[in-house]
Amino acid sequence: MNILAIETTGANASVAVINEQKEVFFVSSQDNLNHLQNLMPMIEKLLENCRLTLGDITCIAASEGPGSFTGIRIGVSSVRAMAQCLEINTISVPTLKSFAYNISYEYDGIVCPILDARRNQVYGGAYKWDEEGNCIEIIPASAYDLKDLLKKLMPFTLDNEITFFGDGIKPYEEIITAWSKELQDISFNNNMRIKFANDDIRLQNAKSVAKLAYDIYKDDGMKSFWDLKPVYMRKAEAQRKLEEKLNG
Amino acid sequence: MKDNKFLTMAIESSCDETSVALLTEGRNVLSNVISSQIKVHQAFGGVVPEIASRHHLDNINTVLKQALDEADARLDDVDLIGVTYGPGLVGALLIGLATAKAISFSKKIPLVGVHHIQGHISANYIEHKDLKPPFMALVVSGGHTNIVDVKGYNEYEVLGRTRDDAVGEAFDKVARVLGLGYPGGPLIDKISKKGNPHSVEFKRVYLEKDSLDFSFSGTKTGVLNYLNSQKLKGEEIDTAGVAASFQLAVIEVIVNKAIYAAEKMRKNKLVLAGGVAANSLLRDMLNKECKRKGIELFCPSPVLCTDNAAMIGCAAYYKYKEGMVDDLTLDAYPNLPL
Repeated sequence: MNILAIETTGANASVAVINEQKEVFFVSSQDNLNHLQNLMPMIEKLLENCRLTLGDITCIAASEGPGSFTGIRIGVSSVRAMAQCLEINTISVPTLKSFAYNISYEYDGIVCPILDARRNQVYGGAYKWDEEGNCIEIIPASAYDLKDLLKKLMPFTLDNEITFFGDGIKPYEEIITAWSKELQDISFNNNMRIKFANDDIRLQNAKSVAKLAYDIYKDDGMKSFWDLKPVYMRKAEAQRKLEEKLNG
Repeated sequence: MKDNKFLTMAIESSCDETSVALLTEGRNVLSNVISSQIKVHQAFGGVVPEIASRHHLDNINTVLKQALDEADARLDDVDLIGVTYGPGLVGALLIGLATAKAISFSKKIPLVGVHHIQGHISANYIEHKDLKPPFMALVVSGGHTNIVDVKGYNEYEVLGRTRDDAVGEAFDKVARVLGLGYPGGPLIDKISKKGNPHSVEFKRVYLEKDSLDFSFSGTKTGVLNYLNSQKLKGEEIDTAGVAASFQLAVIEVIVNKAIYAAEKMRKNKLVLAGGVAANSLLRDMLNKECKRKGIELFCPSPVLCTDNAAMIGCAAYYKYKEGMVDDLTLDAYPNLPL
């Protein structure tokens, strides 16, 4: 069994293969946001590196979003067309959940990925590894005003370390740090521990997408490419404005 | 169905039509499936790029399957994939490109990127089986207004282009201010048949002497100013008359410049292409003028005038025959020059 995994939702694209023994092979691009140009050549190189042909691929996993709309579409349309050609199934990998796989399942804190959605919003959620090594979603993945997401995190701050991931750290690091200070002051919660993931594990990557895809595969979560859909989590701007106008 | 004929598959997604076609020997269309988003964008009064991109992604695999089914072909039979790589909306282009590249890689099929305008011109090779370069081409659409000297299947010289709006764009804008809706071209064409084209004499913009370039924004502003002044005077607006007058002012210039270009470059063939090629006044006037000047006129049928993949497949075939093949790094170019 070999799953090919594709991650194109962020600034850097990457591809990975995971096999039955959970060995992961990985190729990434440093070329920012040129996913359309890089994707197929990266897959070609990856297969060469792990001495596989397309015929050895059992199914293909796409990071479904949220993230860059354009990036999501490049990934999903490429995976769909490949699966249509190769007559194999796909796996739709929730991008935010995949961040939990950037860190060991032995981590007992909370993984909180935040992706910059502009307009003071983030695509975010929160995840925790349980004792059996299952990844549990404790705050559902969605588009949030940053302050609303932080409010939802508050009850967990008493007895959990929280690690933030994602490209949302850069614009919002100061706000989050200020929030945690304020919370400590008013709640006398001296145990509050907030961390920002190191650069090497901060962003989405195909290794984590492959690992989550593996778990979905083992849960019989494969689907036909016809059912592989992008997950934008936000309407197109023009659509939103039109609906606002129509609803007064 | 494979009978040893060279089979080309093509994908077009540069604006608001998702299309996949299959052709044999470059000119014989087996299927040409077009999924139009016109209805989706009507609510917005024009094409919204993000929404177009989303719909392309939703539609493309279905369109692809339908094109294969209608042609009774399998992906394994395909010898070549052609795909539009510009110009157009970048988010829209990349759906076609990502799909084409994934197929090319998965099935080891050669890939050829096609310029959208070269596709429009090539629509005429499908319609007119004996047509060959050289000839003069007039390309008129929602995004383009070009006079092109076609010297060979892959050799072009652009002699004239618009300096502001494309002709189709001008039609859309005028249709909007006249309250006709979207898309403007067919609506103005239709209502103009009921109006007097000389009810208002809008300015014909020819630019410098001998120039083959176009400018439509002045004529468009002329319409706006006229409508405003009528409103101020409290006079009723004769929509059909204004539409017909605007249409004549624009089409007259286009026809005269195209004929002038053909004569100047000593071309006895004029080829019409692009979405606005379906405009009935343009066809009538070109017909008359070409007859008068002894120029042979070629027009594609309406389905080949709009954006479609068959024309892209035809262009890809002639590029491939001359050894022009792309690799998997092929990118989208929203402003690709011809």
